[in-house]
Amino acid sequence: MQKYFILIVALPLLGFLINIFFGKKINSEKFSGWLSSLFVLIPFLIGISMLFQLLKLPPESRKIVFNYFNWISVGNFNVDYSFLIDPLSLVMILVVTGIGFLIHVYSIGYMHGDDGFARFFSFLNLFIFAMLHLILADNFLVVFLGWEGVGLCSYLLIGFWYEKKFTGDAAKKAFIVNRIGDFGFMTAMFLVFANFGTLNISAFTGSIAGFAVNTPLLVTIALLFFVGATGKSAQIPLFVWLPDAMAGPTPVSALIHAATMVTAGIYLIARTSLLYALAPTASTVILIVGIATAILSATIALKQNDIKKILAYSTVSQLGFMFIALGTHSYVAAVFHLVTHAFFKALMFLGSGSVIHGMHEEQDIRKMGGLKDKMKITYITFLIGAIAISGIPPFAGFFSKDEILYKTFINAGIIPYLLVLITAGFTAFYMFRLIGLTFFGKPRYDAHIHPHESPGTMTIPLIILAVLSVTGGFIGLPHLLGFNVLDHWFEPVFKNAEMVIKGYTPEAEHSASVEIILIFVSIIVASVAIYISFKKYSKQDKFTEEKGFGKVLENKYYLDEIYDATVVNPIYKTSESFLWKIFDVKIIDGLVNGIAGFSSRLSLDWRKIQSGIIHDYAVLAVSGVILIILFFLFK
Amino acid sequence: MQELTLKQTLNSLSGFIPETVLIATVIVCLFLDLILRKKSVIVAVAGIVGLLVSGYFAYLQFGMREVIFTGMAVVDPFAVFFKILFVVSTIFVIIFTISSKEIQESTHHNEHVYLMVAMALGAFLMASASNMIMMYLSLETVSISSYILSGYTKRIKRSSEAAMKYVIYGAASSGIMIYGMSLIYGFTGSMNIYEISAILAKSAVTGNPVIVMSIIMILAGFGYKISSVPFHFWTPDVYEGAPVPVTAFLAVTSSAAGFAVMIRFFAVTFLQNNILLNGKLQIIPGINWTEIIVVLSVASMIIGNFTAVWQQSVKRMLAYSSIAQGGYIMLGMTMATQQGLTAMLVYLMGYLFMTLGAFYVVILVANKVDSDELVDMRGFGYKSPVIAVFMAVFMFSLAGIPSTVGFVGKFYLFSALIESNMVWLALVAVLNSVVSLFFYIKVLKYMFLMKPEEELTPKYQYGIGNYAVLLLLALPVMFFGLYFAPLVKIAEYSAILIGLK
Repeated sequence: MQKYFILIVALPLLGFLINIFFGKKINSEKFSGWLSSLFVLIPFLIGISMLFQLLKLPPESRKIVFNYFNWISVGNFNVDYSFLIDPLSLVMILVVTGIGFLIHVYSIGYMHGDDGFARFFSFLNLFIFAMLHLILADNFLVVFLGWEGVGLCSYLLIGFWYEKKFTGDAAKKAFIVNRIGDFGFMTAMFLVFANFGTLNISAFTGSIAGFAVNTPLLVTIALLFFVGATGKSAQIPLFVWLPDAMAGPTPVSALIHAATMVTAGIYLIARTSLLYALAPTASTVILIVGIATAILSATIALKQNDIKKILAYSTVSQLGFMFIALGTHSYVAAVFHLVTHAFFKALMFLGSGSVIHGMHEEQDIRKMGGLKDKMKITYITFLIGAIAISGIPPFAGFFSKDEILYKTFINAGIIPYLLVLITAGFTAFYMFRLIGLTFFGKPRYDAHIHPHESPGTMTIPLIILAVLSVTGGFIGLPHLLGFNVLDHWFEPVFKNAEMVIKGYTPEAEHSASVEIILIFVSIIVASVAIYISFKKYSKQDKFTEEKGFGKVLENKYYLDEIYDATVVNPIYKTSESFLWKIFDVKIIDGLVNGIAGFSSRLSLDWRKIQSGIIHDYAVLAVSGVILIILFFLFK
Repeated sequence: MQELTLKQTLNSLSGFIPETVLIATVIVCLFLDLILRKKSVIVAVAGIVGLLVSGYFAYLQFGMREVIFTGMAVVDPFAVFFKILFVVSTIFVIIFTISSKEIQESTHHNEHVYLMVAMALGAFLMASASNMIMMYLSLETVSISSYILSGYTKRIKRSSEAAMKYVIYGAASSGIMIYGMSLIYGFTGSMNIYEISAILAKSAVTGNPVIVMSIIMILAGFGYKISSVPFHFWTPDVYEGAPVPVTAFLAVTSSAAGFAVMIRFFAVTFLQNNILLNGKLQIIPGINWTEIIVVLSVASMIIGNFTAVWQQSVKRMLAYSSIAQGGYIMLGMTMATQQGLTAMLVYLMGYLFMTLGAFYVVILVANKVDSDELVDMRGFGYKSPVIAVFMAVFMFSLAGIPSTVGFVGKFYLFSALIESNMVWLALVAVLNSVVSLFFYIKVLKYMFLMKPEEELTPKYQYGIGNYAVLLLLALPVMFFGLYFAPLVKIAEYSAILIGLK
């Protein structure tokens, strides 16, 4: 089996090539769609087989390295193209290929009849290809390749319907905002190479092991990688691209902008957990940014009316939760929440796609209502997702969110805990506002729209994801209820980081009573939020204009306007008034025109030399020889 | 000098199989042409088969290190590397002639095939010659075939004119070269470059101005083959006048052969063999030939690039571009290190694919619009998007944009320069690449951003074979641009000349 491991990336690449070059010629939706899906299913099965391989090994040696070839070798700069499979990367593979496969199948139904059907699937395959590199690579440069690759796919897929102007703008926004993050990533890479002489991740984490806690160099590197993570994983201040990214087709929002790509930043930090354990200052920054992002976007989600925008802000908020976990050094909790979130958020995005599909491209929840009878499967699965994200036991989101709350309480103190708790309440609130307005109450859409349930290719993935959203949490039961599989599974990956952390934090007393109290508090908060929200919105059918703070929330704290005023416009103005009118026109153009004038005069003379008359050439060549000889004899 | 006995000659023949195959191929093609008496692909196919067989035997020589024909030539990985390069480029050029309207509509039948194979033979000998007489003769073998091929379409005036200029210019240059060689012979009493090197290293002639003079004179011959400034004057006129496949051949095969012989001549003759100091080969004291190369290289880069900017004909632009590219490649010699040599070989291999590709696109365009002027390429991207995209790949590679092989070559050249503390030279080269970007991208501007004069439809139709050839050229450009470790390994291995350790 190990021999065939390369297929895990080779097949998606093949799917990309076939669909991009021949998709249009073959012109068969069945062929393109199912071929691409198959080329993601097989990597998933390979991932499963690797799971069994790992399980056969004793926990501390669960690490398989596939070294394929030496990619770059210049002087002492060496980059190997190699893959690392350990418990962490394996979980990510399974999430990406598993959910990826379901979303591929879903897209066969969703994209039916679209002109760019084959192009769409080729990009999806390319995305899986790039994402697997990001996950599997044992080298920062190859990770970066995947990192840029998923960014490119995200750009291509956001702007998939490029005929519409706003999709193009959204794609560009995503791309440009991510450049800022990439700058951080690259600078971090340069620092790593300059100081450690390698870009290999294992070698790097091996060589920082002996460093003192909070060494300035390590804190700098950690913060720079985090800048990269804020770009890709949509945290303050770089989160503004993600809500706009909803301009892309809904399966893309589910796959790339909810379940997989946006978790790349969390994965990167978890992969280099030792670095962050050694740089608690950086971790504190992560915690603060995580909390701020979670609250900010959860409050914005309270007043949004576009079904996908609500889910987008919810995603940003949930990613904030994961960063909170990372900031409190609870790496297992972060990855756990990453996995469960992938289940229920993919589910809800696909569900929203099904709603939009059934409502003939309507996205405003004020114009929906009463859909629960028309779209049974969509309604039930969506409800499961909403319960899961709200944190009601025994659904998946409860366990992972509870663990984050618990770890925040223990590691960060009561105030961060309260902030996170309130955010969790907001989460339940906006989710049931969405449920109430969309599925309950009287229909508020035009009479000529006849909502209908979506085809099987779309509902079956919904059902599977719903099952996962219900049961997915049992891999990480609280200590209270028994054995935590996930803790045990990740132990070899994070044990070095845990050791370091133990060095500077006093061992927290594990108290069952605290855990029980916290569980009940969070269940009560979620239930109350659900109750209030559902009661209010399931019957609402009149909408008045928002006033006061509600209006601020509806307008997303005017953040886009603030960014425009403070960042975009100054840059634009400087570009226009200085860079363009003075620097470009006067200096650059002046220089270029000057050189051009000079060289065209020169080349006029030169053309006289290049006269086309052969004895001139002979004379010139000989005089050239003589000139060089004289130069070397008399210099 | 050793006695040339029959036995030695026979023994040497085993190291001479690729060349023998080529000689046989020339004869077979000649007779085929005489028998058929009409244009036929059969001759071209025979030529390609002969080249492939010869290439296979050359490949078998990889790893051999032998002196053959009592010091006339050597077989070493360096020579084999170039032989394979020549085989590949000659095969491509022969394929080009099949799809070139110019060649197919000329009055000749199939003479170009065996002339090209003969040129490949000359190039083979240039790569392996270790005796100045042999170097001169092989250089002339290549030149004479080139003269004929330049004037191949003799009804077209500018083609004949180009051939005439080429002959006269070539004669003058090789005259200067052989005078330089005779001076060296006069000093050392030997024609064999290994013996010359040994004598120079020992004797007091080093530092003598006449040696410097003779080096520069010999450079006139090599410089004319690789179109280095100031021996480049023929290049634009001949490139423009000759049929495009011939131009491609001159730009790639002939120029690479020039580099092969030049590298061997300088590396063997004017380096102290077997002496490595801090990984650097030692130049024979008093003969600072590397400085001469620096001057030629910088002059070629600047004049080539800056003049290319103003060209309206793509062929002329590519002529100046190849002058500049030659300047980059010469950089590899300026530090006299193995690294530099390796970088040169990497660059040459990439140069082969990207330059041939660019010329092939010129052929395909000329087939439709009967012109090689930039203005006539307007809107070609609309009329034939696939070919225009291929052109973009080649242009990006020539300009040295990452993920193409052109970038890899430049990267290795510049990093070798920086490791030898010649940062200023690297800087000059980088600035030159910036300038070159301008005229390479200009081609794309005409192709993609300007509308054609005629209607957008119908689109130009090309055969599947044309696309296949383009793909064969573009794939290595992109593949080696991403995964260049194997290419670099081969180049590293080949950069160790026989007699140098």
